[in-house]
Amino acid sequence: MSVSRNRMFFTGLGVIVVLELRQRVRGVAWYVLLGVFMLLVGIVTFLLWLASAAWMAGGGDIFSTIIFFVLLLGTLVSPALSGNAINGDREIGILATTQVTLISTWQLVLGKFVAAWITALAFLAAALPFLIFAVVLGKVSIGTITVSVLVLAAELGVIAAVGVGLSGVLTRPLFSIVLTYLVVAALSLGTLIAFALLGTATQQQATRVNYHVISSTFDEQNGKQSDIVCSTASTSTYDLPRFDYYWWILAANPYSVVADAAPGSFDASGYPTDLFGQIAVAVRSAQAPPALYTEYNECEEASRGYLDSNFDSGPTAEQTYDNAVPSWFIGLAIHLGLGVGALIWAWRRTRTPARHLPNGSRIA
Amino acid sequence: MTLPGECVPRQQGPPRLGATGVRMAITTDSDSTAITPSGIAVTAVGRSFGAVSALREATLSVPAGSVTALIGPNGSGKTTLMLMLASLLTPDTGSIRINGHDPVTAPDRVRAVTGWMPDTLGSWPSLSARAALQTTGRLYRLTHEQAAVRADELITLTDLTDFADRPSRVLSRGQKQRLSLARALVHSPGVLLLDEPASGLDPAARTSLRQLLRRLAAEGAAILVSSHVLAELDEMADAAVYLAEGRTATPEQVAAAGASARTWRIRSLNAASLERALAAPGVVTALVQVIGVDQLGTLVQVHDEPSAAALLHNLVLSGVPVCDFGPAVGNLEHTFLDLAREARKEIAPNSAEFTA
Repeated sequence: MSVSRNRMFFTGLGVIVVLELRQRVRGVAWYVLLGVFMLLVGIVTFLLWLASAAWMAGGGDIFSTIIFFVLLLGTLVSPALSGNAINGDREIGILATTQVTLISTWQLVLGKFVAAWITALAFLAAALPFLIFAVVLGKVSIGTITVSVLVLAAELGVIAAVGVGLSGVLTRPLFSIVLTYLVVAALSLGTLIAFALLGTATQQQATRVNYHVISSTFDEQNGKQSDIVCSTASTSTYDLPRFDYYWWILAANPYSVVADAAPGSFDASGYPTDLFGQIAVAVRSAQAPPALYTEYNECEEASRGYLDSNFDSGPTAEQTYDNAVPSWFIGLAIHLGLGVGALIWAWRRTRTPARHLPNGSRIA
Repeated sequence: MTLPGECVPRQQGPPRLGATGVRMAITTDSDSTAITPSGIAVTAVGRSFGAVSALREATLSVPAGSVTALIGPNGSGKTTLMLMLASLLTPDTGSIRINGHDPVTAPDRVRAVTGWMPDTLGSWPSLSARAALQTTGRLYRLTHEQAAVRADELITLTDLTDFADRPSRVLSRGQKQRLSLARALVHSPGVLLLDEPASGLDPAARTSLRQLLRRLAAEGAAILVSSHVLAELDEMADAAVYLAEGRTATPEQVAAAGASARTWRIRSLNAASLERALAAPGVVTALVQVIGVDQLGTLVQVHDEPSAAALLHNLVLSGVPVCDFGPAVGNLEHTFLDLAREARKEIAPNSAEFTA
């Protein structure tokens, strides 16, 4: 009984998905758009290949850049394709005629979401030849391929869900499309701006104490300093931004989610080998609190002869990466919550028989 | 027992089965879906949108096997009522039963037996009429094969064969209207809700719509039709429901309005002899009053149908060559206008009392 009911649910869902795809995605314009996208990715791949000497360094850079390119294009196109899924139907009078059939509201909302998601995934599919090219160049791990593609697909799904959701909540298609773009902008750019502004606005005083060598005698025989006369401590203060308070804001950035999720890949000197790693290191380095008290004692170094000074070059990128907390699953969870919430809200507003009507809207 | 064609005032109530010749002439064909003979029952339904009461108190019933006209001025709540019957809107008060099911608590059962044709003509713009009908069939849980067969049947039935494979955005208004009707029939519903089905149709399409509805009623469907073209409803409806200011007229109001004096039009081959006869004593009784002459004939106010019969009798006896004798406005229109007049009086009852 429940099996056949499930089958009935998915059959109905499938009908809506096919209907949506036939409605929205057919036509020459759509294929032109995909063609232009493929051309762009092709150009980017070729230029990166020239620029990065990828035949030696491997395809990591190219692979990660294409993934980000798909994310960029997907988030730019998806709101326009999904942001009027429900209220657009209402506007041309075909929502109610669907609602009086045996299709449930969940089938309708989810069907439109799945269709919008598939549409966005078409960009990923169009980029596939170039992704394969990057993998063929070598040094892209299976882990990186799997995780980055899956997380990218999930992020595109979130945008589709937000678009379809808002189209069910708002009456006017234009508003819901614009609002979907604003959500995308808030996540992609807003998080960066908020992080930068909040971090910079939260300044804290840091102290640096210096001891200088006033005079010394250098023995040319053994290369050592002697008779070192040391200055008194000179203290200087300055303000430091506290980005470490706000690193979690970056976790909600879709680009940082994709980058942070991919398993880090570093070369022998601890330097990231792809764009994912570079962004992830940058984001994770924000987690470390700045040193509020530093002391530099030249005299001590002079007494050790400067030579064997273990001049601290700081941790390598790989160490920074390994010492910080991964944040991508928090960001992904926030995004999934956003998408699911939008769909549930749309379901509530689209349910029939309707108790409340949105202001100034005709149900048909 | 009334015979086909006998003069009886139309009122709200059980249909006069067998009143139309059409259903006798057309034989039942393939779509033999089992229909629960029950129809529509609406009791004291009200619905408001914010401060605006769209529907105050609507009560009506449409028995299986009949066509009922839903008549009312613009903004009287016809579409709101249709939306509630189609399980799209919940009523604030009152109850609705479609074949015994409540559209609020059991919308799926209602939807499975209800075909709704909205007043707005929407169709998936890039789908052809055939694809739209097949998709609708799939939405009603038909299999691919069933949906394809049903779509072909309906395309023939609604005479869309020549346009079936064009995208629906290039269809004319009348063609879209027929597509919309076909879509409402996809699942062979036992209850049909048609909101302005005839607008945009040419005369031939109107005639076939009328015949189709009579045939479906003969097969047991309960059909509620709203239209502004009252003359047309006159020809196909068994009963009428009048809606004004969100209220349905009671049977008593309808009976009173239907029985009130109405205008008849007389044409004669010899206008002069008609004029002479109407002026002669004894021809025009106390219940008849000559109003004037318009471009189509002479108008007289006649109190009831027996008076009309008597007048005709007298005119023929006086040797007037009468070639046309009938009500100047249709039954429904007469009742509708009369009720609308009553409703206007009710809005300002105080002033009416003082002047009376």
